[in-house]
Amino acid sequence: MPAAAVSTNFGIIVLCPANFRVEADGLRYAMSLTGKTNWQSRVSYKDDAELAERLKRREPQAMADLYDRYGRTTYSLIFRIVRNTAVAEDLVQETFLRIWNRARAFDSERGALGAWMLTVARNRALDYVRSVDGRMAQSAAELHEMESPSAFADIEQDVLNIDRVRLLRDAFTKLNPKQREVIEMAYYEGLSQSEMAKRMQQPLGTVKAWARSALKVLRDQLGQVAT
Amino acid sequence: MKTCQEFAELLELYAMGALDGEEKAELEQHLSGGCQVCSEGLKRAGASMLFLATMPEQMEVPSRLRARILASAGAPRPNRGWMAAWAVATAALAITAIWLAGRNLDDDRALEAARAEIRRTAADLANAQLALRFLDEPETKQVVFGRGQPQPPRGSVLLNATRGVLLIATHLPPTPSGKIYELWVIPKGGAPRASGLFQSNAQGDAVYLREGAVDIAGTGAIAVTVEPESGSNAPTTTPIVVAPVSGL
Repeated sequence: MPAAAVSTNFGIIVLCPANFRVEADGLRYAMSLTGKTNWQSRVSYKDDAELAERLKRREPQAMADLYDRYGRTTYSLIFRIVRNTAVAEDLVQETFLRIWNRARAFDSERGALGAWMLTVARNRALDYVRSVDGRMAQSAAELHEMESPSAFADIEQDVLNIDRVRLLRDAFTKLNPKQREVIEMAYYEGLSQSEMAKRMQQPLGTVKAWARSALKVLRDQLGQVAT
Repeated sequence: MKTCQEFAELLELYAMGALDGEEKAELEQHLSGGCQVCSEGLKRAGASMLFLATMPEQMEVPSRLRARILASAGAPRPNRGWMAAWAVATAALAITAIWLAGRNLDDDRALEAARAEIRRTAADLANAQLALRFLDEPETKQVVFGRGQPQPPRGSVLLNATRGVLLIATHLPPTPSGKIYELWVIPKGGAPRASGLFQSNAQGDAVYLREGAVDIAGTGAIAVTVEPESGSNAPTTTPIVVAPVSGL
């Protein structure tokens, strides 16, 4: 079988090679920060709103565009969590199908599609890791609630804005190793503070202090963005 | 009880699922009490940590994954060898349709409808092409299901020992919200093996290819059930499709 091919949209590709607008406001998404430069740097939240509308109409090309926009970042995030390519592929598929199935409930005007996509991806991966480990730090109901389309209405649509993300990434890299470790264990492993304390063989109070001081640094950076 | 300002320091941890014990219970009680400030703060806190999702090293994505995902969402995949002819044919179709649309309908909505129709037509053609290519393999075996049954769905399952299992189904019942179709390869005398998730298109049609070697002689049946969208390890509902494979 062909390894990868656009399925149903040759007509559109032939006629409309420039699927994505370059927005006048210059907003760019953070994916371009994370690896090789690609066209995703030209995508803005306005493109995402339009894409979300097409997903709601269940246009096959919308799914292809969603994958082209977020496939690599989603795969990389999931792989970072599960560390297994075959599992990562299954979970990426599950993530995209979940978005496809629930797009009708997504508010394309007020919602942040990228934020929803990456949250679903993280939750799918953590759910898998926890099931393998026999851990249930968060219940399935909690995960379900956190990735509900309505949870992404009215959050800042440029949450993945390149400047904002760059600032936070810079701040993150300047945290001390223990601070970074606890945030990474929380985000990529889904560990609770008690589980971290056990893993690190440190008092719970110490782990909490590392986590809080790390988050304060990041919060202060966001405050700078706001001002 | 903590104040909203004190709870604000816990929101990122809660959003990441790292809060536990008494602090978690206290915050949840506070949120369930309807505090708008903390509810909004929680949304912002979750969003603010999303930069971490962009930090992992960007991996090379296996090229097959794109096609697999599009197929599972009801969009078919073409054969590269046909790509040029396909592009020309579809472009011609598109130009004709848009020209017709331009003659009769002046607004953007009409043009968009014409484009959507082209996409659907192209999807149907690509589906047919995928099936033909699979059938063209001498070793491919075919099983028909649903024929003569009073109720749909109907269709075919094509099995190829080296290429995999191709399901072509029509009139699939719409899946409820949060549900998805799951394909099962059922070995003779064995438990069903989960073989992939897929969706139908708006008309209830689906073409789904499960790539990979399949032991045709050792397979008893191919089945489809409706499952939670994360899939199941074993069927949890009565199959809507059962295609016996024995005797091929």
